[in-house]
Amino acid sequence: MFIASFVASALGGVLGMASGIFVVPILVIAFGLDIREAIAASLVSVIACSCGSAAPFLKERLTHVRLAIVLETATTLGALTGVFFIGRIPTAYLYGLFALILALSARQMLVRRVVVVAATDAQGWADRLRLHSSFPDRATRQDVPYQVGRVPLGLVVMYGAGLMSALLGIGSGVLKIPAMDMALGLPIKVSSATSNFMIGVTAAASAGAYFARGDINIRIAAPVALGSVVGALAGTRVLFNVPADKLRVLFVVVLSLLAIQMLVSSCGISWLAGAR
Amino acid sequence: MKRDATVEESLQRPIARLLLCGTWLASAVTAAGLLLGIYRERQGLAWTEAGIALFIILPVARVGLMAVIFLRQRDYLYASIATLVMAIVAAGFLTGMGALAPMQ
Repeated sequence: MFIASFVASALGGVLGMASGIFVVPILVIAFGLDIREAIAASLVSVIACSCGSAAPFLKERLTHVRLAIVLETATTLGALTGVFFIGRIPTAYLYGLFALILALSARQMLVRRVVVVAATDAQGWADRLRLHSSFPDRATRQDVPYQVGRVPLGLVVMYGAGLMSALLGIGSGVLKIPAMDMALGLPIKVSSATSNFMIGVTAAASAGAYFARGDINIRIAAPVALGSVVGALAGTRVLFNVPADKLRVLFVVVLSLLAIQMLVSSCGISWLAGAR
Repeated sequence: MKRDATVEESLQRPIARLLLCGTWLASAVTAAGLLLGIYRERQGLAWTEAGIALFIILPVARVGLMAVIFLRQRDYLYASIATLVMAIVAAGFLTGMGALAPMQ
């Protein structure tokens, strides 16, 4: 299980994604765990990944710390909503939802991220919260200033991302990053770093509640969390040595396979995991 | 604008240090628990549980640190936003302890 989560997190780390999106399907499909148990265990590894990998981004001043705390009010509220509803949602729906998110991630891998410069009309919130900032560009060695737009829309999407995170045990980077690119109009590097930074608190909100309820199986969560830390560290190293395009294709294939398996599971059949 | 840029920097370094040290500590405690569990199951499980708890507390501690830094800079708006986030997480923990039934 340690090795499986190591691989999952290395995969995630390479992609700059949280490990949850791989950890949950692996725990469910390969280890035959109940999906809710997998979700609770995965959340701990999501926290570990986020905290373990945050330092370099912070040191390079890519993380927008104040924007993160503003948006975290929405993600943590979303997470609490998820905690409240998870016991009431039939398992089949959880599988289906997970398949949907996996498919979304695969699509996002395929399409290169395009910066849509947001219409920065209603900037009242961003002005009042003094959110406009700048980040250091390595190539030109200059600080590139950027504006933040449409904060209310960003908050709404973040609430949804927090909800998904708690329901599925993922970091929801899939939802956060496009939200920041499009709604708030952030530069790509800043939105990746800030999304990763926020994931920790979001997952802590739901993991804390599951932990207090006694829903986190320590025997599963511990090796998964450790594997994630090591995997995330290894993944970011590898990132610079592997051709990105080949990786991208590999991930699309893996994500699509997992999506199909989860979808099939949601219909109550399982053909990949015959040993269950 | 310049003032806010320096504010960002004053946040980024201490937070990076906290998260890095915290991750190592939580990992070490969890790993120690797993190893200990081979010989003494009960004791090992207690350590492992403490490690997991540390992982969960770490991001909350990060928000707490931010609140303190904001307060020191007399930035009351952001200090209250940070406190709000902590309150939401705490509310989740408390409802988990009390009213709501387990998932399964």
